[in-house]
Amino acid sequence: MKRAPIVLASTVAALALAALCGCNGAGPNAGSAQKDAAAAPAAAPTPNASAYADLAKLPDWSGVWEPTRMARPAGEKPPEPPKLTPAYAPKYAAYQEKNRTTPGINFVSNVANCVPAGLPGSMQQPYPIEFLFTPGRVTIAIETYSVVRRIYTDGSPLPAEPDPSYQGTSVGHWEGDTLVVETTGILPETAPINGILGHSDKMRVTERIHLSAPDVLEITTTVDDPTVFVEPYTFTAHYQRHRDWKIMEYVCAQNNHDFVDEKGNPGFSLERKPGE
Amino acid sequence: MFRPLLWAVALGAIGAAASAHHSTAMFEWGKEKTVDGTVDKWEWTQPHTFLWVMVPRKSGKVEQYGFEGMSPSWLGRRGWGLKSISRGDKVKLVYYPLRDGRNGGFYVRVTLPDGRTLEALPQRQP
Repeated sequence: MKRAPIVLASTVAALALAALCGCNGAGPNAGSAQKDAAAAPAAAPTPNASAYADLAKLPDWSGVWEPTRMARPAGEKPPEPPKLTPAYAPKYAAYQEKNRTTPGINFVSNVANCVPAGLPGSMQQPYPIEFLFTPGRVTIAIETYSVVRRIYTDGSPLPAEPDPSYQGTSVGHWEGDTLVVETTGILPETAPINGILGHSDKMRVTERIHLSAPDVLEITTTVDDPTVFVEPYTFTAHYQRHRDWKIMEYVCAQNNHDFVDEKGNPGFSLERKPGE
Repeated sequence: MFRPLLWAVALGAIGAAASAHHSTAMFEWGKEKTVDGTVDKWEWTQPHTFLWVMVPRKSGKVEQYGFEGMSPSWLGRRGWGLKSISRGDKVKLVYYPLRDGRNGGFYVRVTLPDGRTLEALPQRQP
């Protein structure tokens, strides 16, 4: 008998949850939950069946896309180096030189401490990405660091001063079979290109995404920030479709032995997990 | 995980903004060393797999080595898995050693008791 109040409490909690989530078919109370949801004023128009049907008109980007950073398509020129402002040019030159003489040695950033890369670096990671289409939205799920990008394609404008975030705030529109994505509000401490840390809060990233072959996705990215670049910097990346792959879970903090110390030096821990 | 910068330099294929998880500065990258030992633990984890190996010394003492390797994201799509290596397996490991001399490094090839060899670097894939 002592347990009765707890049972009652959890039943009430379950009912409250069912009402909140408005889940369909979630047990005997689903009907009343639906009624409650129907009575609540809608904050935004609910996508109807035709909005979902319209998604079928979009190009087929299903499957999982692996960055093909190793293989530049035959005939494609190597990318032009970025034209940098005096504030950034010497740092980048030093980075390039070190990279040439001692590959990998000097790549040190907070990413080693499991802080995810910001845009556009988040799209240049070694592991695959996938695209999800829903009415008014394209969602990009990036395996590395389990990053999600939400691109609003419902016609809403970019906010004037979005709160800064790693992936920024993105809106997109379709030009034929090309998705054009505009992003601002990217955290200024992130890397606009490899080898440079930091940029202004006005940095703008434009991505043009389309299929360049039936199973090859081409993304042309332009990064515009006058404090870093003399002129907007454009580069192109390709992704190979794997219809049979699945995006894997990627929790960087699971077992990370690498780190960057407070002086920016790379480190490596040989500590075993507690209890072993 | 994989070493995009190294690939990039080797193949000249990188454009911009490629980001590695971390530097390879801790390892003598490219300098192969070999060790024989017994697997104490195989960790099939992100952002790296990890292999703990007990290595007998000539003195009779057994020392623990720790080896980082590529991630499940990379190895998992090339036939490796949680069951690829077991505790107690006698393995021969080729690795890039830690610069500071501690027992460990980055494993690049593992030969298992049944003679199978697991190649663990992108550059070595057929």
